[in-house]
Parts: sequence; structure tokens; C-alpha cells
Amino acid sequence: VQAHKEGSLRKQREMNGHTAVPHSYDYDLIVIGGGSGGLAAAKEAAKYEKKVMVLDFVTPTPLGNSWGLGGTCVNVGCIPKKLMHQAALLGQALQDSRKFGWQFPEEVKHNWMTMTESVQNYIGSLNWGYRVALREKKVTYENAYGEFVGPHTVKATNKRGVEKLYTAERFLIATGERPRYLGIPGDKEYCISSDDLFSLPYCPGKTLVVGASYVALECAGFLAGIGLDVTIMVRSILLRGFDQDIANKIGEYMEEHGINFIREFVPIKVEQIKEGTPGILKVTSKSTKGNEIIEGEYNTVLLAIGRDACTRKIGLDKVGVIINEKTGKIPVNDKEQTNVPYIYAIGDILQDKLELTPVAIQAGRLLVRRLYAGATTKCDYVNVPTTVFTPLEYGACGYSEEAAVEKFGEENIEVYHSHFWPLEWTVPSRDNNKCYAKIICNIQDSERVIGFHVLGPNAGEVTQGFAAAMKCGITKEQLDSTIGIHPVCAEV
Amino acid sequence: MGWEEKQVRGYPEFVQTAQHYHGRPIFALFCGDKDAEGKSWCPDCVTAEPVVRKELHNMPDESVFIYCLVGDRAYWKDPNNEFRKNLKLTGVPTLLKYGTPQKLVEEECFKVELVRMLFTED
Repeated sequence: VQAHKEGSLRKQREMNGHTAVPHSYDYDLIVIGGGSGGLAAAKEAAKYEKKVMVLDFVTPTPLGNSWGLGGTCVNVGCIPKKLMHQAALLGQALQDSRKFGWQFPEEVKHNWMTMTESVQNYIGSLNWGYRVALREKKVTYENAYGEFVGPHTVKATNKRGVEKLYTAERFLIATGERPRYLGIPGDKEYCISSDDLFSLPYCPGKTLVVGASYVALECAGFLAGIGLDVTIMVRSILLRGFDQDIANKIGEYMEEHGINFIREFVPIKVEQIKEGTPGILKVTSKSTKGNEIIEGEYNTVLLAIGRDACTRKIGLDKVGVIINEKTGKIPVNDKEQTNVPYIYAIGDILQDKLELTPVAIQAGRLLVRRLYAGATTKCDYVNVPTTVFTPLEYGACGYSEEAAVEKFGEENIEVYHSHFWPLEWTVPSRDNNKCYAKIICNIQDSERVIGFHVLGPNAGEVTQGFAAAMKCGITKEQLDSTIGIHPVCAEV
Repeated sequence: MGWEEKQVRGYPEFVQTAQHYHGRPIFALFCGDKDAEGKSWCPDCVTAEPVVRKELHNMPDESVFIYCLVGDRAYWKDPNNEFRKNLKLTGVPTLLKYGTPQKLVEEECFKVELVRMLFTED
């Protein structure tokens, strides 16, 4: 019946000479993009017995790298990042452990291949797990590139170039983003991005990280943590959009711990001096403030200068979905609906929304419940906690100090802050004035806590609870009257 | 060339056979021992085996299917047995693609769709 329906629809289109709008669709919902948002939405829709299809396809990186089902977070984002960050933390812990009495030979080395194989193996099990989950929930999955070709119709092209057409009542775009390149000679041929780093089949060696995003800082952080010589090239400021006071403290900490920073320069050319795994690359850079040119040699150049939404080549023009031409992001209303009523979008591609996995998942699930289960709850994008896993971790929820001043006025906010020295750091004589916490309160609203920032170990774990408190509207007074747990960092 | 089956019992024999066929796709089904009448102490294995066998023709060419009896019930229940320790098996039956994280455990092995997916997945 299915094949017949598809066949007759296609024939109808051919006969009419244009794409007619089908009235009985192949699917209730087609999700383009099998990442955090897409999969969460698809699985939720299947719960309500809807006929769902997921189209996921990874366009290989310039160096030919690709990965399985699950999207950025699982394959080339949060998961491998946190695991490698952990590898670096363990290296530090090994050093600290001597002061706590552990005895082992002088030099302890790190093996990149061992770490990468373990990480990739775990990711592989996640890819497989998603395949099994989709099958069990009767969600149709195709490893094919989806693009709109007409109203209610997408074309799915698999890696062998075979094309199929599918129709659906509704569509969800969850195509995410991919790393941006510099657009300079040698960038695509010789540089790697985060899409390549976590499965690199050889140790990157002496690395230049270009960028000052959290991706750049986190990667530079763990690469240095496993013993590599790392330099970060920053065009202007660190962690744009984050609290700058904290961003600077993070930068200082990284610098004091052996990471070189080259500030106010941008690469203009990358050349290969020697082939190899890794080889040797020569990077020529120009100052942003004058005409100074510098050169440097590195085994690996990692670009982390930003990510671009995958919205330009999925046929959105054929169905009239408006995107922000400059950024590629899709504006949606508070129900995640695009300007085309039957097409929705979630995740990193949304304009003016936080680019985080849990946000995409939540938005996807709530959207599906509104569509098929009569729910009305919308996704709450306010007070979403996040954590940056730099060597000194940073957890935040709510306003940065700059944003709070801008919104409420300096005289209406009060900032309470404190340095702290984690007990675990005392014995191994680690820094005693680096960990830091601050809360920003709105004086006009009973000193409600509108911004929470903590810089220190396990920042993510610490922040989660405070985020829940902020959602309940916790005030400074309530915070003061909450007795602390001792001895933990969070008691500050 | 099609595919071929090897029947083994116990961990050392399994490892030896898997190593022998290194380079070819290897799929393995782990089941509890069978008694004199050919019936396994593991009821789920009894259910899974015919389902898996029916799908074997979907394996890629050159594949090797290793049918492995793990041991008696007491051996299997021991949390330190070699299959649990070295292959990280958590239950029988387990159907896996050797050398990859792809596997199906217990009731998952009864499902034709999943078995087929394991055999044909790229």
C-alpha cells in the first residue's frame, strides 16, 4: 500500500508538471536531524503512536571524517569533550596524589590512542543504542540527507546517492551546526576542527588552537592537561557572551598553568612544512591592531572560531521558511514554529536561543506533547544553567554581571562574591585564590538571585541545584538562611 | 563466498576462533549449555536461537558466525567468569558483532527487526 501510494503520488506530480500537495501523507512527522533535539522529539512522538521518520546524515569534514547517529553532543561535542576533560583532570589528580601519600615512579605518561579508542568505543555504543531505541519504538530511521523539495515533501539522499521522496503532515528541523572555517589558504586542507579532534588517529602534538569560544578553551584545556604544548590564538576577547570578569579569571588560570596565549592576532595562512601524523604546519598571523606579522610552527592547528547553522542547503526556500540571511538561524515563535505553520525547528539552529543539548531536548519533548498530547507547556528558556569545562570549571545560571547592569541598572543590583580554597587543594598546595563564586541580586525584587557564577572544581554539579533554586525565585536572604554543607565548595 | 558457522564451547575456544578469523566480519551468539536432549538451561536462549538462525543469510559475505556455549548455569552466574570480565557480557543470550560496541542482549535477540539490523548495519 505504501509503495503504491508513493508511486501514485509521484506519478501525479510528474503528470501535472509541478509538485502537487499530497493530502494523505507518508508520515505524521519527519524529523530532519538525528541529534539531541531531533531524537528526543522523535521518541516522544512515537509514544503517542505517531508515524515518525528521522533523517540523519553527517556530511564528512574537509578531512573526510564522519560519525554515527546521535548528533553533535554525542559524537563530537559534550560527551567526548567531558571524557577528555576528565582524562586531563585525572592527570592532575595523579600529581596531587603524591602529596596524599601515593607512591609511583617519577614520570607518568599519557597515551592518546588509548584514550581516544575508549572514548570512541563508548560513543559507538551510544550510536548503536539510539539505533536500537528507534527501532524498538518503531521510528523509521534513514541515514540520508534530507531537504525540502516542495510543500510537505522532502527528498532523502543516502551516501550512495540514492534519492527517495517522503511526505509528512508536519516537519521538525533539527539540523544543528558545523564548525566554521577561516576562509584562508590552507584552512580546509591542513586544519582540524572539533569534528575531527575527538577521533584523531594520532596524537595532535604541539597544537595551536584558534578561537576564544568555550570550545576553543575547553579543547586547549584538556590538550594541555594531557601534557601537550598548547597555544591559543585569540582575536579579541575570551568567551564572548559570558561574564567577562569570570572569563578573564579563566584565561589567567590557563595561562598560569602552561597554556600560551597569543592575543589580538588572526591567522592569514597555513602551510604544510612536513607531511605526517602529525606533520608540521607553519601558521602566519597578522595583528588586529597593526601590520605586525608573526609565524609559528605546530603539529596541529585546531579551528574553534564558531559554528554555522545547517540551514542553507536543505531547501527551505522551496517551502518558504524564513531564515536570518546573515546568521543562517531560524526565527521561531514561542511554540518553536517557523513562519510556515507545519514546519517547526529546535536546537542550535534557533535564533536567539541557548545552544545547549538539554534545551533542545526539552524544547523537542514539549513541542511534541503540545502537538499530539494536548499539552500547553512551552519551553522555558530563562535561567538555564550551563557549565564550561575549562581546566578551572565555570558554572553559571542567569545574568552575567554586564547583562544585569544593562538590564536593571548598576544601582539596582548587588553583587556578592567570594574567593574560596577547596579543601582538596590545600594539601597538594594548589592555588589558594583562584576559585571564586558570585551571585547577582536584584535589589528592587527582594534581592532575588538573578545571576549565579561559580569557578572551581565540579562547577557543573554545584550549579545544577542552584539553578533549581533560582527557578523557584530564591532571594539572598533565603540563600543566607540555608545552612551550608561542610567541607564542600558549594557551601560558600 | 557467503558465510560460515563455527561452534565453540567456553571462553578460550571462543577467543582462539575469533582470532583465527581476524579481518572478516564476526558475529557471535552466546547461549547457555545444552543438555543431553539439546535443550539449554537458559529459556531465553531457546527462544532466541531460531530467530537468529533465520536471519543469518543477511550477514555480509565472508562473515563468520560463532555459536558459543558459555558453560553451565553455575559458571554463568559467577560474576567473575571470563565472558563477563573480558567480553563485558551482561546476559545470555547475547548476539554481538565482534570488535564493535554493537550488541543485542536477552529479549532484544527475539526481535527479528533488531537482529536483522545488527547483521546488516554499516
